[in-house]
Amino acid sequence: MSIDITGVSKRYGDFVALEGIDLSLPRGQLTALLGPSGGGKTTLLRIIAGLETPDTGSVVIEGKDATRLPVQKRNVGFVFQHYAAFKHLSVARNVAFGLEIRTHGGLRPPWTPQKRAGRERIQAKVEELLALVHLSQFADRLPSQLSGGQRQRMALARALAIEPTVLLLDEPFGALDAKVRKELRDWLRRLHDEVHVTTVFVTHDQEEALEVADEIVVVNQGRIEQVGTPDELYDDPANDFVMGFLGETTTLGGVVLRPHDIEVDRGPGRAGAQEAVVVRVLRVGFEVRVSAETVAGEQVTVSMTRTHAKALQVEEGATLWLSPAVGAATVPSMPVRLRDGVGA
Amino acid sequence: MAERTRPAPGPTTYVLRVLVITYLVLLVIWPVSLVVTNTFANGDEALRSILEDPDLVDALRLTAVAAVVATAINTVFGVTVSLLLVRTVFPGKRILSALLDLPLSVSPIVVGLALVLVYGGRNGWFGPTLEGAGLQVIFSTPGIIMATAFVSLPLVIREVVPVLQELGDEQEQAARSLGASGRQTFWRITLPSIKWAVVYGVVLTMARSLGEFGAVKVVSGNVLGETRTATLAVEEKYLNFDQEGAYAIAFLLASVSVLAIVVVSLLRSREAHR
Repeated sequence: MSIDITGVSKRYGDFVALEGIDLSLPRGQLTALLGPSGGGKTTLLRIIAGLETPDTGSVVIEGKDATRLPVQKRNVGFVFQHYAAFKHLSVARNVAFGLEIRTHGGLRPPWTPQKRAGRERIQAKVEELLALVHLSQFADRLPSQLSGGQRQRMALARALAIEPTVLLLDEPFGALDAKVRKELRDWLRRLHDEVHVTTVFVTHDQEEALEVADEIVVVNQGRIEQVGTPDELYDDPANDFVMGFLGETTTLGGVVLRPHDIEVDRGPGRAGAQEAVVVRVLRVGFEVRVSAETVAGEQVTVSMTRTHAKALQVEEGATLWLSPAVGAATVPSMPVRLRDGVGA
Repeated sequence: MAERTRPAPGPTTYVLRVLVITYLVLLVIWPVSLVVTNTFANGDEALRSILEDPDLVDALRLTAVAAVVATAINTVFGVTVSLLLVRTVFPGKRILSALLDLPLSVSPIVVGLALVLVYGGRNGWFGPTLEGAGLQVIFSTPGIIMATAFVSLPLVIREVVPVLQELGDEQEQAARSLGASGRQTFWRITLPSIKWAVVYGVVLTMARSLGEFGAVKVVSGNVLGETRTATLAVEEKYLNFDQEGAYAIAFLLASVSVLAIVVVSLLRSREAHR
């Protein structure tokens, strides 16, 4: 395991940011910490980095207890949401920063062979990294002359320069517009396949997590709700929170399921089908969203294709028979959430 | 007054302009220009006689030394306190912040008297002990430096604090995560980011220190050639009806301040071009 977190808790005054977190992340994996704002995922990332200290529990990185190690001794690469670019340094000097700090030439004057060799090594490494993040032609610019996406790639190169044992990214694409975000997301996945460093990134965007990560850790209200691959989480959510966070949900006959996992018939053919009256029909592109009320008084949302809706002549006031599709992911609906027994 | 949608300035604008200019001329420009004309009423004779008088050269030197040392102390202290105020949380922080403005609001003469109460050689709280150790504070250079440092204390802090606040600490965290120690982070990241604020603070502190009169008057004792500063010399010359000499020294002091202002405005415009 590359990162082992045991029993980590953190409070800010009365606010419980994290409580009893246990988590192990294997080497070379790309992990997403997914959850709503204020759920504790950024705090967890900052504790791994050493930018925050946990009240209780331990953090072990590559078999070494890092709980009391300050951030500068942990050898982690950290990428901030708002880039944290060194504004007074050029792009190349930003990337070189960690290397310059680490290159010990002692107090020798700058023209000695040792110092020169160090400088040449740094320069070669910086050029390599700038090529990796496609910023070679911007080496001499200041960060203020770059776009947001370019700045974030620079920040990533800067973090990678120190050859970190783990790479931590805090909402790395959160400040970028939708198109750039999508590009960088694909690019991060490809970069990770090339570099293979253990990577953890925080996001509140479930699409981003599902698309990029090998494994997703769903964090909510200071606890881990579920850990699993994107498929596991989507097909077999541990509870209605995970289900609800990963996509739209509705309730039918006391279970939570996805609106597109409901079979619709005009007659009572299927076992367990419930009778419902259409309240509203909304057409969004290829999709038709139907709001219906069952005889038991349950509000159900169903989504189907336009063609399907047309074939069934779905319109307001029509009577439908609704049943969960075979193999649909469902969880029991719990209007009052029970905290115990929920978790990884 | 903002010219709303009308591009052409109306009569109100002209009236206001005239008012402002008249006010500045009566209060600042005319008096200061009279100092200059009076200084050079007999050519450069007044200035030359000042610079040839060893006592006055001593006074100018003492003022320069006090101002430079006080500025150096306040720069180091100011940057440290600014970092403390912005980057850390501790009980009593707001009280400290309010206290730091005290030197600007208290009359300098009160500052001088307060220093005498603490460090006075005969009756001060602390003075006799120090004097026993061979260090005379009041009626000596250390006292002059302390009084000067006291009155110009908040100027660096008030320049640096807002810049630090706006800067945030993400860059510093990033530097730490890249392996930089606290010291390396300060010299490589924090200081370059606040350097213009520090420069403004230093220039303002310097200008204020050169012109300090009230507090220095109380603590110096005005010993000719030893504890007489340039501002005290101006007063003395003036009271002894040597108005030409007073104006000449005043002119020297004023020109250093003007120079400081010119330097600041040049720096500001240079920064704006970045």
